[in-house]
Amino acid sequence: MTTVLGIETSCDETAAAVVVDGRDVLSNVVSSQVDLHARYGGVVPEIAGRAHESLLTPVVAEAMVEAGVTSHDIDVVAATRGPGLIGSLLIGVSAAKALSLGWNVPFIGINHHEAHLYAALLEEPELEFPLLVMLVSGGHTMLIEFQAHGRYRLLGATVDDAAGEAFDKVARYLGLGYPGGPAIDELSQQGDPQAIKFTPPMRNDGLDFSFSGLKTAVVNYVRQHPDVETADVAASFQAAVVDVLTHKAQRAAREIGATGICLAGGVAANSELREKVLDICVEDGIQGFLPSRAMCTDNAAMVAATAWWRMDSDGPSPLDLGADPSLKLPFIDS
Amino acid sequence: MLVLGIETATPQVGVAIGGHEGVIASFHTARDRRHAETLAPAIQFLCAQTRIDLNEIGVVAVDIGPGLFTGLRVGLATAKALAHACKIPMIGISSLDLAAFPARFSDRLIVSTVDARRGEIFYATYRRTAGGIQRISEPRVDQPDNVANQLTAQGEDCLVVGDGAQRYAETFQILRGVEIGEEGFRYPNAGSLVELAHPRALREEFVSSSEIEPLYLRAPDARINWQKRERS
Ligand SMILES: [Zn+2]
Repeated sequence: MTTVLGIETSCDETAAAVVVDGRDVLSNVVSSQVDLHARYGGVVPEIAGRAHESLLTPVVAEAMVEAGVTSHDIDVVAATRGPGLIGSLLIGVSAAKALSLGWNVPFIGINHHEAHLYAALLEEPELEFPLLVMLVSGGHTMLIEFQAHGRYRLLGATVDDAAGEAFDKVARYLGLGYPGGPAIDELSQQGDPQAIKFTPPMRNDGLDFSFSGLKTAVVNYVRQHPDVETADVAASFQAAVVDVLTHKAQRAAREIGATGICLAGGVAANSELREKVLDICVEDGIQGFLPSRAMCTDNAAMVAATAWWRMDSDGPSPLDLGADPSLKLPFIDS
Repeated sequence: MLVLGIETATPQVGVAIGGHEGVIASFHTARDRRHAETLAPAIQFLCAQTRIDLNEIGVVAVDIGPGLFTGLRVGLATAKALAHACKIPMIGISSLDLAAFPARFSDRLIVSTVDARRGEIFYATYRRTAGGIQRISEPRVDQPDNVANQLTAQGEDCLVVGDGAQRYAETFQILRGVEIGEEGFRYPNAGSLVELAHPRALREEFVSSSEIEPLYLRAPDARINWQKRERS
């Protein structure tokens, strides 16, 4: 039995969790800074750094108390080392290394994207490979073939804005505040998704995505139709994003003969996307794995779970490991 | 009581261990600003070479700034996590106190500085006392010219130390009665941190990790980093 303390500070959530053997979540504490950044309409790195510095130790202490463990029970300390905001990442990595020194246990640095991929596995240990993972967040939009533990192939990615970024920018334009994803999701419930026909670029073209043109289309439409119901715009925009995401996910899943489709990343909390992904899975007779909303957004349980797998394949990281703000997933060539 | 000192508020990374016999071991490097990469191995190295187990440390002392924000937080995150792991208290000491400490044998007014970038310096003034130094002004951030004018107005002989003084040497050199500290006074020293913290530790003037607050002296720059953002 291996008990891992995971730490996540890559962006604007300060998080710590205790997970046993990559699947039993004993605690999963997330302290969100979203209110600190909301008035700026985005994450301010220096404000994030200051908040992580003051919150991290209390969050770690809380995760251990909630898990009912003491320092003697922790076998490994893991922290996200990238990608993300460098100043934020360094706080989690530094604290994790110090805890590993103090407790005399191994330290391991974790790739934040890989952690998102493992979030689904954490809740559904019986997944069978190959899987099609759609990682959709504020920073990325990727279709990934998950072939085996640690084996990933990139099938498609955004050529400009990430899906979550499009949600944020459209929400900002519509005056819905920050973060944009939940705001648009909520308002869309009252709107007509058929009201306006927005078509994202590259819909029938390969497995890559493009969202910046869609954002421009929304802005142009609202300028030309100032009396349009904001709820209809939100619902129609969301429908277009979800349509292109699910359309390409379905094609990708068929191409690789996937046993199922997994959602990962913050945008995976979108209710319309969750519903439509389940629809295509039913249509194609494959499994659909939707992590709980808490497991879609940034958290440390997914970091601790990934660490359990990575300790098995790679072993611990050296203590001189730094953070890497643009760390990539270790993709294999096709 | 053994004190572990951690100092990362400037381009330098410093670690020292000491106790009643003074500084037992110390490590400093000012190359490439690799604070996060260097700090944990440096602590491990010092413990191994002195054969001191981290569990024998009684208190963690840390430089709370002012200084480089990211470097400062690497030190604070490390120090707080170590204090949590080893269940020991902490002592926070300002980088300006540390930069002033080696100048404690001067009879001049000591002006301690830390380069604040963007054309400014962090500074505070100190005076020699029987046991060491005493701070006589609150830490502030200002342009070197303004600090220089203030010193001229005061008309007292001073010794200006720290990397702020080194960087703006031309501004301070021309002032009457002002001497600039030599290179050895450039960065706050982890050994000074241990020496200043030890008597305070004996008097039990320590706090828990949640009570240690960095001295930023500047509001956060509220620019959004759209490129580097990864909100998900
Ligand atoms: Zn994320």
